[in-house]
Amino acid sequence: MVKPKAFVKKEKCLACGGCISVCPQDAILMILSKAVVNDEQCNSCSICVKTCPIGAIGWEGN
Amino acid sequence: MKYDAVIVGSGPAGSVTARFAAEAGAKVLIVERRAEVGVPVLCGEGISQKVDRFKVLEGKRWIATKMEGARIFSPNGTKITLSAEYAGNETGYVVYRDIFDQELARGAVQKGAEIMLNTCAINLLKKDGKIKGITARHFDETFEIEADVVVGADGVESRIGKWAGIQTTLKPYDLETCVQYTLTNIEWDSPYCDFFIGKHVAPGGYVWVFPKGNNTANIGIGLLASLSEPGKAAQFLDKFIAARPELKKGQPLRVITGADPVAEPIQSVKDNLLLVGDAARQVDPITGGGLMNSIEAGKYAGETIGKAVEKQRFDTQILTEYETHWKKSFGKKLHRNYVAKEIMLDMEDKTLDMLADSLKDYKFEEFSTLSIIKALVTKHPSLLVKLAPLMKLARA
Repeated sequence: MVKPKAFVKKEKCLACGGCISVCPQDAILMILSKAVVNDEQCNSCSICVKTCPIGAIGWEGN
Repeated sequence: MKYDAVIVGSGPAGSVTARFAAEAGAKVLIVERRAEVGVPVLCGEGISQKVDRFKVLEGKRWIATKMEGARIFSPNGTKITLSAEYAGNETGYVVYRDIFDQELARGAVQKGAEIMLNTCAINLLKKDGKIKGITARHFDETFEIEADVVVGADGVESRIGKWAGIQTTLKPYDLETCVQYTLTNIEWDSPYCDFFIGKHVAPGGYVWVFPKGNNTANIGIGLLASLSEPGKAAQFLDKFIAARPELKKGQPLRVITGADPVAEPIQSVKDNLLLVGDAARQVDPITGGGLMNSIEAGKYAGETIGKAVEKQRFDTQILTEYETHWKKSFGKKLHRNYVAKEIMLDMEDKTLDMLADSLKDYKFEEFSTLSIIKALVTKHPSLLVKLAPLMKLARA
């Protein structure tokens, strides 16, 4: 089974960049003041999901 | 377009670098991906009064309040006070970071720097393996900006360093993940900046209350990302506020998130590329404060760029002067406080209460973390074994 990828809920993201700074895959970009996950690079490690101070990052499909 | 230096990011590190480089005669461009300098604010907005010495800010519009001192509350509420009265009256300010940043940028422009908004650096421009500037995007237009020096002042999430091969990815235990409300209608009339520590308050971090005047304050929390769960920072902050009648009636004027590197100092020069500010991890690992360091490092970076332009030499040897300068000035302090951070993380709440109790009547003569460390060692010779590396570093 393919692991789900991290997914940023755009309406919640406040653009602090914390997720980008800890992503070991360099898979997150800030686009128009919202963090966006690049699915192809994400390895589902969950570091960004846990780091987000307001819970704006979850899993794709949820 | 050809510049002597292109600076990515218009925060304090970028603007101050631009200011001093421009003042030394360099042709400087700042690129900023956002639509307004300093907005949105991503900061607790506290800064040491030492900022006055750098003479980079005019007037007082950027100041919300002048702090009377700081208070630290241990898990059981024991209070340590660092008062202006004993600290030579030099404490700090709570600032309006949007105005603060715009004043710094205005200062840079007065010295000749240019600013390009809504412009995002998307890669380094390289020719024959050498850094020749950046590729940038302005809405749907992509173009090259040539420069002899590239400065990454692009904050905690810095990509400029990565593109040059400097390892800037943070480990979760080297990042504080933060939320802050600016609350008004609170009954918190203290002129002190307050810090609350303890595992039940803020695991691996602290809650702060920084007064801004008119019954308004910044109330924020930082948690170590390695101890964080999704949304935990916001939950802990809400819990803190709900438990305090003087804050509970407060209404939010602003909510922001933040990410604060609490890491060891890193390499800040590679070929003709410099990193400054949060991008270079120039943040105190104990307090999470980085404004003052960014401004100091920005000054050194700008001056070094000025010299490089004058000599028309853009090699590592000449630019390393910048790194030598900032590491000599405050690099050791950052390393020492990184070690102190690790020791503090190991401490149980009970230990923190005991230490706080022993310092509750102490009259600190300096407004700094070093003065607290020194006092702890004086009071607790038994702690010397644990704190020995700190003392060695304090003397260094």
